[in-house]
Amino acid sequence: MLFNSLTFVVFFVVVVTAYWSMRSWNARKNFLVVASYIFYGAWNPPFAALLFSTTAMDFWLGRRIAKAKGRHSRRGWLVGSVCMNLSMLGFFKYGNFLLQNFQWLLARLGIIYQPPHLDILLPVGISFYTFHSLSYTLDIYRGVLKPTKSLRDFILAVSFFPQLVAGPIVRAGDFLPQLVRPPALRAGQFLWGLLLMTLGLFEKIVLADTMLSGSADRIFGYAGPLVARDSWLGVMAFAGQIFFDFAGYSTCAIGAALCLGFHLKDNFRFPYAAIGFSDFWRRWHISLSTFLRDYLYIPLGGNQVRPVRAATNLVIVMFLGGLWHGAAWTFVVWGLLHGSYLVVERVIRVLFENRARTNNLATRLLGGFATYAAVCIAWVFFRASDFTIAARMLGGMFGGHPHGDAILTTREMLQIALVTAGMILVHWSLRDSNIETAVMRLPRWIVTAVWAFMACAIILTQGNSNAFIYFQF
Amino acid sequence: MPSSTSNFKRKLRLPRLFFSTPPEIERVHGGPPLEYERPIPEVPSRGIATVVVLMVIAATCAWEFYCRSIGYGPTLNDGEDLWTSARRRVKPDSIVVIGDSRGWFDLDLDELQKGLGKRPVQLAMGGGCAYPVLADLANDENFHGTIICSVVPRLFVAPPGTPPMERAEKAVRRSHTQTPAQRVSQYLAMPLEEHVAFLKQQELTLDDLVKRLPIPNRPYALVSPRIPPYFGTLDRERRARMIEGCAQPGKLQTTIQQIWLPLFTPPPPPTYIPKEEFAKRMGQAIEQRFHDVAAAVQKLRSRGGKIVFVRLPHSGGLKALEDRETPRAAVWDRVIKDTAAPGIYYEDFPELAGFNCPEWSHLSAGDSVEFSKRLIPHLRAALQM
Repeated sequence: MLFNSLTFVVFFVVVVTAYWSMRSWNARKNFLVVASYIFYGAWNPPFAALLFSTTAMDFWLGRRIAKAKGRHSRRGWLVGSVCMNLSMLGFFKYGNFLLQNFQWLLARLGIIYQPPHLDILLPVGISFYTFHSLSYTLDIYRGVLKPTKSLRDFILAVSFFPQLVAGPIVRAGDFLPQLVRPPALRAGQFLWGLLLMTLGLFEKIVLADTMLSGSADRIFGYAGPLVARDSWLGVMAFAGQIFFDFAGYSTCAIGAALCLGFHLKDNFRFPYAAIGFSDFWRRWHISLSTFLRDYLYIPLGGNQVRPVRAATNLVIVMFLGGLWHGAAWTFVVWGLLHGSYLVVERVIRVLFENRARTNNLATRLLGGFATYAAVCIAWVFFRASDFTIAARMLGGMFGGHPHGDAILTTREMLQIALVTAGMILVHWSLRDSNIETAVMRLPRWIVTAVWAFMACAIILTQGNSNAFIYFQF
Repeated sequence: MPSSTSNFKRKLRLPRLFFSTPPEIERVHGGPPLEYERPIPEVPSRGIATVVVLMVIAATCAWEFYCRSIGYGPTLNDGEDLWTSARRRVKPDSIVVIGDSRGWFDLDLDELQKGLGKRPVQLAMGGGCAYPVLADLANDENFHGTIICSVVPRLFVAPPGTPPMERAEKAVRRSHTQTPAQRVSQYLAMPLEEHVAFLKQQELTLDDLVKRLPIPNRPYALVSPRIPPYFGTLDRERRARMIEGCAQPGKLQTTIQQIWLPLFTPPPPPTYIPKEEFAKRMGQAIEQRFHDVAAAVQKLRSRGGKIVFVRLPHSGGLKALEDRETPRAAVWDRVIKDTAAPGIYYEDFPELAGFNCPEWSHLSAGDSVEFSKRLIPHLRAALQM
């Protein structure tokens, strides 16, 4: 079920009430497992069985890894876990993509092959819960986590409903310790959780869906050439939309978890105030970027190898990060672009190391602006469903269609400009801080008014909203 | 409030993992719980939350009273989930109404039940194209019932990718993919929509309110034509009834009349395709539609199903526009000829032709009952009942 649905509102009220009225910690955990599976099964009940089977397999494999004596044996069990998780992901998410590319490759060799179209339904959130589960066996292999003795606890760690379908990617090592003792609600924690849920829903329903998504859809869906202004505004609208959509979901998840006494880490930290791309990836989808860093980039050698190898590793990691988002070459190009951005940034850092002028305000602002612009260019490939659309958009953005069409209404242009300017202003003003600090610094009447405004705006949208973009991943 | 940032940070217990790697023991399951704690701002949250709740309740009530004062009343929203709940009621031998909003407003289910012996299922939808629903029923191997299909030519031949097609396709798709959560949301939403006037998904949403801000547009901007404001209610069976405020002469009636005209006027061809090429493509799409409709009807009939096409009343300036842009011979006659199905064109029968549509496109609630009564003998004859 969606956070922005009436079903979830009722579900959440029932779950929170029942959860806090139970005295036994074990009963609460059992109840959360059932609630999480109901939450997941509300999309497609049979896929709950798939979720359970992969979780149970990883639980068993985790114990095997821990018990294995030799290095080869440990590695063997880990390979088993990785293969099981990635093959499931591969089948459901990349099955048709792989077949299509295989067909294309054979056609290049002059072999005509018509593969059957697999009518595969993608289990919602499979990319996320696969990574939740995989982090468990990987951490046991790395020796930073001991296997849990409780299958129930592990099931809850993987399926905990706030983070189950669209992140953040909560590692078992971060969640399992929270299941040892019953959480105690600190003063204000429950209401702070509710405020975060309101903020998350406001970001998703009001800012992403109401203010930006329509313009982004119109621009990316327009079949003709567009002038530069409309093209850029369309991409900026999407840049804002995807941030508010995904950060909104993460904020809701964090708030819902807080209401139940659990603590999830931030998944976004004002990414559009990033100066440089490594900074961007420390702020955008932090749970994925740290996952890729710890389980892929560092095992590949990280920074401890020669510069060319390190650069190659970066590109490989971002290539796979792109592919994780979707089974399409446009996502791969998006990942490769970010990989190449990171490599170029490293080169620039080496060239301008120890230059005092690189640290002044103007340079930082210029760096921030350049980062935002480059990220927007990469978003074109993320949003465009094929390369024809991406090429048309880029053509428009770089003045290739001076006589193209100007289709956005003045209202849409104002909406994009105001929301984007507000977003960037907030990101820059909070880039070295956090939302909690900001709330404490604000006068109480402003916090009250903003919270009430957000709640009223959500009610005004009447739930007339789309699914979260990241559900498809 | 804390007096300095450092003191403040200490009180906030900032997330440790962001700033330093925790010791290994803390990362091991069984180690100290809550190795990571989110900061909780120290504000008087209960007081703030109480004021917020009161403000939200007050604002919501004020908005509800305002909406009622300007003529809005509670009604169900015609979303895909409500359509899906109706689609689920279709039995193998059901009588089903499909098509556009005229099939929705003008056909009274009680009268049709009296005259045809079964209560029809209402699957027509406002601004929707009939074809996706027709194709869905034709492809449903279990269905061998009767279809009453309302034809508004412009909507009936709407090419793929246009709003009428997308609206119908979306509803059909939802009926095949509706999740248990969506179904529950629909059941929860209905009692609310039946009692709260401002819950109008297409008109009083924040999105629509923002769209209606009086901001002048730059030239050539693609502006979607305005959708008519609230003028009918919908019940759980999806029976639509025009409200009295629209049935009587007045501002609402004339406003809606003036909205139909741009909505039913063909949009200019896109600038990036030569006019001739665009006209050719449209022609091909329309030909394809005739072919697809004939194939769907044939498929339905092969299982013993029946279909009757009906052209329902329209009046005034809208009738003049429709007759000019989509003359009878161009669409209606062609559909009847290609499908060899029976058709009832209201103008052919004096007892059906005398109705006036208050806002030019639909019958009033009262007239729809009388019209349905008079339509029954024609339906029975066409369907050989």
